[in-house]
Amino acid sequence: MPDIEIRVTVNGRPRRATVPPRLTLADYLRETCGLTGTHLGCEHGVCGSCTVLLDGEAVRACLMFAVQADGAEVTTVEGMAAADGALSPVQCAFRDHHGLQCGFCTPGLVVSATAFLRDNPDPTDEQIRDGLSGNLCRCTGYQGILKAVRAAADGTGAAEETA
Amino acid sequence: MKPAAFTYHAPETAAEAAGLLADLGDEAKAIAGGQSLVPMLALRLAVFDHLVDLRRVGGLRGVERRNGDVWIGAGTTQTEVQRSALVAEAVPLLSRATPLIGHFQIRNRGTIGGSIAHADAAAEYPAVALALDARLEALSPRGSRTIPATEFFTGLWSTALEPDELLTGISFPVRGARSGFAVEEFARRSGDFAIAGAAVAVELDADGRVLRCGIGLFGLGSTPRRASAAEAAATGGGADSLSAEEIGRDAIAELDSVPSDLHASADYRRHLGAVMVARAWQRAVKEASDA
Amino acid sequence: MSAEEAPARRYAGTRVPRVEDARLLTGRGTYVDDVVRPGMLHACFVRSPLARARIEGVDASEALALEGVHAVFTAEDLNPTAREQWYTLIGKDVPDTPRPPLAEDEVRFVGDPVALVIADDRYIAEDAAELVVVEYEPLPPVVDYATGRESGDLVHEGFPNNIACELAGLPVEDLPVFDEAAFTARETIYQQAYAAVPIETRGLVAEWSPSTGEMTIWAATQSPHEVRLFCARLLGLDEHRVRVVMRDTGGGFGQKVLPLREEICVMLASVKVPGPLKWIEDRRENLLAAGQARHEHADARIAFDADGMILATAIDYVQDVGAYPTPAPMNTCAVVGILFPGPYRIPQGTFATTGVFSNTVGRTAYRGPWQFESVAREVLLDIAAREMGRDPAELRRKNLLRRDEFPCTNHSGMPYSDVTPLETFEQALEMLDYDAFRREQERARAEGRYLGVGTSTYIEPTTDSLSLHATEGATIRIEPSGKVNVYVSGGSSGNSIETTVVQLTADALGVDIEDVNTIQGDTAVTPFGGGTGGSRSGSMNAGAVEATASILRERIAAIAADRLGVSAEDVETVGGHARVRGKPETGLPLSEIASIAYFQPESLPPGVPPGLEASGRYRAQSPVIWANATHLCTCEVDLTTGAVKLLRYIVSEDCGPMINPTVVEGQIAGGVVQGIGGALYEHLAYDEDGNPVSTTFMDYLLPTSTEVPVIEYGHIETPGPGPGGYKGVGEGGAIGAPPAVVNAVADALAPLGVKITRLPLTPESLVTLVREAKARQEAAG
Repeated sequence: MPDIEIRVTVNGRPRRATVPPRLTLADYLRETCGLTGTHLGCEHGVCGSCTVLLDGEAVRACLMFAVQADGAEVTTVEGMAAADGALSPVQCAFRDHHGLQCGFCTPGLVVSATAFLRDNPDPTDEQIRDGLSGNLCRCTGYQGILKAVRAAADGTGAAEETA
Repeated sequence: MKPAAFTYHAPETAAEAAGLLADLGDEAKAIAGGQSLVPMLALRLAVFDHLVDLRRVGGLRGVERRNGDVWIGAGTTQTEVQRSALVAEAVPLLSRATPLIGHFQIRNRGTIGGSIAHADAAAEYPAVALALDARLEALSPRGSRTIPATEFFTGLWSTALEPDELLTGISFPVRGARSGFAVEEFARRSGDFAIAGAAVAVELDADGRVLRCGIGLFGLGSTPRRASAAEAAATGGGADSLSAEEIGRDAIAELDSVPSDLHASADYRRHLGAVMVARAWQRAVKEASDA
Repeated sequence: MSAEEAPARRYAGTRVPRVEDARLLTGRGTYVDDVVRPGMLHACFVRSPLARARIEGVDASEALALEGVHAVFTAEDLNPTAREQWYTLIGKDVPDTPRPPLAEDEVRFVGDPVALVIADDRYIAEDAAELVVVEYEPLPPVVDYATGRESGDLVHEGFPNNIACELAGLPVEDLPVFDEAAFTARETIYQQAYAAVPIETRGLVAEWSPSTGEMTIWAATQSPHEVRLFCARLLGLDEHRVRVVMRDTGGGFGQKVLPLREEICVMLASVKVPGPLKWIEDRRENLLAAGQARHEHADARIAFDADGMILATAIDYVQDVGAYPTPAPMNTCAVVGILFPGPYRIPQGTFATTGVFSNTVGRTAYRGPWQFESVAREVLLDIAAREMGRDPAELRRKNLLRRDEFPCTNHSGMPYSDVTPLETFEQALEMLDYDAFRREQERARAEGRYLGVGTSTYIEPTTDSLSLHATEGATIRIEPSGKVNVYVSGGSSGNSIETTVVQLTADALGVDIEDVNTIQGDTAVTPFGGGTGGSRSGSMNAGAVEATASILRERIAAIAADRLGVSAEDVETVGGHARVRGKPETGLPLSEIASIAYFQPESLPPGVPPGLEASGRYRAQSPVIWANATHLCTCEVDLTTGAVKLLRYIVSEDCGPMINPTVVEGQIAGGVVQGIGGALYEHLAYDEDGNPVSTTFMDYLLPTSTEVPVIEYGHIETPGPGPGGYKGVGEGGAIGAPPAVVNAVADALAPLGVKITRLPLTPESLVTLVREAKARQEAAG
């Protein structure tokens, strides 16, 4: 069961590694690349905490082996903000609308919401709910998350909260 | 929850892949999108010494017209199926079933061939393949052959594919103008495998009689099922000669091994199955009548 | 007003953005699985596949032969090395239930840890765990707690009839009111097992340094100081040699308050292995072995007079405590009985409670562990209303206690104060427009659609003052620049405690919020504290911050007064300056005062200590702080499929003045959706042989974004005891939601003669109830 050499571009940086075939993409990102923002909540493809972009499409990093990402471009939550640290519009909206509490599911949600809004720039509320239904959150009851993605879709800035 | 070790193969041609499967036998498994296989490996419910990854195999992706049918490469992702204008126009049942599969992140990896070859009794695509009389292309070192969908699903998670055979493509016949399609399912939550579901295709003749119809059932047996008796009863008669409820009851009456689990007893599944068939039938007939 | 009094609040009460968010949104949080130490080893448990069996032998030879495997520990290796094993929060001398680190002679549930494999990585550890051969002699399990007392088999020797604990008031037979009342409602209400299920599973990294005798633990915990004290006692180390660090915990909801058996095993093993030891629970283990909650039933009664006034309540409550409950179950059992009367005017009553062992996973704490008092009472009240032909809202309105009736004591002797049950109830009904909904419901029924409305009202104890929870400390350091660091035990586990403490500190010192930073979750640098649990963080940290800030305000005022030539009473701290009251143009920036305090101690006025760093400790002002709320839910039920669609969800909450309304609403929303999960989706189920059948997220159904309604909030802010009058808000959502949902569904189906007494309300269960009700009505002619 020989290890295999792979080349992956992660958040714009080319990387080369020799990995056991059974190493999941999620563990490769976390352990080999040290990018621990990709979280493992279930390791069987349901919770969505490990969602990353693979050649631009949102996928579960726990449902892939790193060898299958050979030649691909991967973007993790660490690659979402600008180089100077400025948050992306989706990240800003999550902050402005209390779209996170413990933060564990958050990276997967940020990645999923980013891909979802790119493909559905003008979503209905129903589409937003459906688009986010592959990411489990246990803290927020999804209230802040739904508001955040609505706001990001509408391009509105900080929350106009009412007491 | 980490998979057991395996040797990884990434062949570049379908023949090479089929050759590997032939050589390695039961110890090997083909992996496409892996969205069903990898969880089973992670939970160690399945262990294989060899995985044959189809990602680099040429000719397994794409949607095109072939001989009047719509041919879809087995390695085409569910997202690609969903985005295909050709599928939407010529095989609308497939387009309508696709968003019901898992979540979009799953569909970005999951393939049509993987879904059909995995043959989960609760999955949408096998039922659609049945309802539309799809033809499945298989390749092995012995050559290629075409398997009708009705002969493909042989038992719990098992198919007519031989261990050395690779599913390379699926051909969907294009129905006539007076056709209607609908898929209905009931799941505990959005994106879950359905407790019960039905995919229905109906084609009417000029007089409004049912020229042909297909009713694919999912979640209602140990395999994806086709409600043949209900189809036979409906075919040839006027579109409203049997009520949707009667079709639903007929479809369920044929079933013998309806599963029972934490989420639904067999009785409840049968009840829901009849409701889903009726709802899908009604919508499909309406669409065909309005066409 | 003296200088020691807090300046006017600028931030408390406002929706300031969270300080936690920047790191958590960018993947820069540090959860326990993110911790990597040089030479780190990985642990994996070998678990019982049987509900009950005698362990005849463990053969680890094949596992040990695998490359990369360092050790396989069994009970023989680990259990005798445990010195003391008790929780600070519970106390040493409180009667406890068994909790062996690894299973010794017998396994007692599917998932019971039997051996611990240590290997180079988790992949190899799992390979090796499969190679450990355990020989079992199967024994008949006690799967169903409800019949456990009559079972001839015992989960634990020494607990006859499988009774873990019992407590009872007057026998209900001694209360003739139930027979004599105009109407007595009596039902057995049942709630299924469900659990906390944080998205981050449990885990810890334990690094033992034999040369220095120091232990460092990175833990997913709600209470780092509890972990430290527990570990010190467990291993016989001095507390100051044990350091526990938690930067980010991915949700706890009670499950991560106390170290459980696996964490105990990892602590014990960590001193026997040649490197730091990491254990990260996987999801299957979490659903198998991290504990169950909520599994219980009660025979509940409410007696009414002819006008619908409640005369008495009684509850005979039975709780499934599983095989290894943590903590021992007496406490929550008792609280269910004692709080059953709830927010109603009830002259008399009684209760009995029993905890029963079973060969299933042990009960652990989950957000409002006593929540069944509300489930049983509120569901029974709706049933009673229907049976009496009264509207459930009208029945409640007659009996709910008003703000001006408090303080008062319920018939179990529990003294309530500072709450507003009727007021939240009226607010929630008004937000809905209850009468309009009833009209809409009528119209819908005429069209064959089934809409329903349900409410639940409760009073909950928050901020208990038991043991580890009795006090909370804070250290505040005003840096030479005038910027502020505030140190509290705390630790982010989703409750926004970093933001809360920063808000409170900025207000308490009159500085800009951007100038305050907080350091939490590291026992080496933070004051001793109880951590997150029992809805205590807001109130207790407010007390701790104020106790500390007042010391610093006094010092700042003294220094400024001396410099400005005024009296200290005339100095206030505002905008990062010490100013003469009423003269905003005067004053010294904090940086200048800090410079004097740190670097020119000779210039300090007499008697003023050097430096601007202080520690203070707050002692809870009352045994508990009461909070209250009303939940209101509307729904539509599809009779054909049994599907329930929630339409509106309203919570009117009184948690006192809100420090940050956004955080309050976030806590409510999270709890509500957990409660909705419990009412409709989640079920930690076992088959009749004791095999768990929902150990993946395919089968354990957490609500997703498509299942939840929009939650609407109403706030009533009645101050409680303590600084700021803040009360707790962490748990309430999960208490109030299940009965509100059940009542809404029951209301929708009421015209069909359906009565609901069992959770969860699965689509199938509703279809069955409707079918049975129809059959009954047909039989009745």
